[in-house]
Amino acid sequence: METKALGNLIINGVGSVNGGAFHKVEINGKGTVNNDIECEKFNCNGTGTIHGNVKTEKGKISGAAKIHGVVKAESLSVNGSASISEAVLSRKLEVSGSSAIGGSVKCDEMVLNGKAKIAGDCEAEIFHAEGAFKIDGLLNAETIDIKLFGESKAKEIGGRKIKVAQHRESLFKLIKSLFPLKLEAELIEGDDIELEGTSAQVVRGKNVKIGKNCEIGLVEYSGEYECSTDSEVKESRLI
Amino acid sequence: MSDQLISKKEVLDLTGISYGQLYRWKRKNLIPEDWFVRKSTFTGQETFFPKEKILERVEKVQMMKDSLSLDELADLFSLSASNLKLTKEGLIEKGIVSEPVLNIFLETQGEMDEFNYHEILKLYILSNLLESGNIHMEEGKMLLQLLNDHQKILQQPKAVICFIRKLGISSCLVSMSGEGVLLEKGTKLAASISIEQCAEELKSKLT
Repeated sequence: METKALGNLIINGVGSVNGGAFHKVEINGKGTVNNDIECEKFNCNGTGTIHGNVKTEKGKISGAAKIHGVVKAESLSVNGSASISEAVLSRKLEVSGSSAIGGSVKCDEMVLNGKAKIAGDCEAEIFHAEGAFKIDGLLNAETIDIKLFGESKAKEIGGRKIKVAQHRESLFKLIKSLFPLKLEAELIEGDDIELEGTSAQVVRGKNVKIGKNCEIGLVEYSGEYECSTDSEVKESRLI
Repeated sequence: MSDQLISKKEVLDLTGISYGQLYRWKRKNLIPEDWFVRKSTFTGQETFFPKEKILERVEKVQMMKDSLSLDELADLFSLSASNLKLTKEGLIEKGIVSEPVLNIFLETQGEMDEFNYHEILKLYILSNLLESGNIHMEEGKMLLQLLNDHQKILQQPKAVICFIRKLGISSCLVSMSGEGVLLEKGTKLAASISIEQCAEELKSKLT
């Protein structure tokens, strides 16, 4: 990108601007951008609103940003409560706050520590979650590693290695009765599947290991199968 | 569509690939999104695929994945223009087009030395139709005119080009989403060809 010679866009306070190409975009306060922006660095710290697409190398959203469009980035980190109305494409994506994404997410590596809502599909090579998420479409990743901290939901989960673990600390025992640590999915398919605290209608895979606190309608496996006594599996089939 | 459907489980059984591979291929766009057909069955929703297409695709990917990376394969399957350029000699050498057809093409399009992907695809469609004997030279020129006027046809995999004739007068048209075309009684469908099929045949010839 030839943005070296371009100027910076910095809004401190209330301001409105028409978008364009910049070297660095910083919105501290209540800035509004009315069109697409393209920049090397994108920083949004207040309640920024962008009516358009954002294309950047490095993006950071720390406040309550609202982006009405697509976000394309090399690396993107979301720390506040951002809402993005369309798709997110990023090589690296980190979500630590609570964010809502209206489209689908496509990235290489995704780390999710807070609360995320994704209305479309979510594709990644590595998906790592320690929080609560809700994915209305398919969660598709090579490696899926989920540590349950709250109630999470995905319509379908598919991948090579899928691991869902419940948090073990005793302090959580009290809270656990109030807030169930649970993952809900209609369908889980993968090569190596390890589940805890999951309720799913169908689980299909090569090697399936059902740990504690699961409720599964049907398990279909072609290799090894293991089921803990704490879990309820209605039917299991070797195929 | 009257395509026979096959469930995901059967695909895995028949081809020996794993869920992990299938999902990876889907992520890499080796399997187009619109092949995933969701249907409800007694175990809930299940995914089905168009049988012939998916089996052919899986076989191709399995065959070529040792020599090409998955990203290269995705380029191969997608219809987007790859940055490829061929000369006249190259085209004839690869058996994409014969000399007489190439001459007709150059006659209408003007002389050129290098051909990009879109031009090669046009050429391939033209040569395919002319050499099947279903259309004649004049109609071939008509086809080129149509493709020149509507460049977007070549990027629309579902598009089907049809040639119709009535009382010795011919015409051609394109169905952009590949739906069937109904004809009046006196009209004859002389030839029809799908862009997706051409593009795939062409891509396999190019590699």
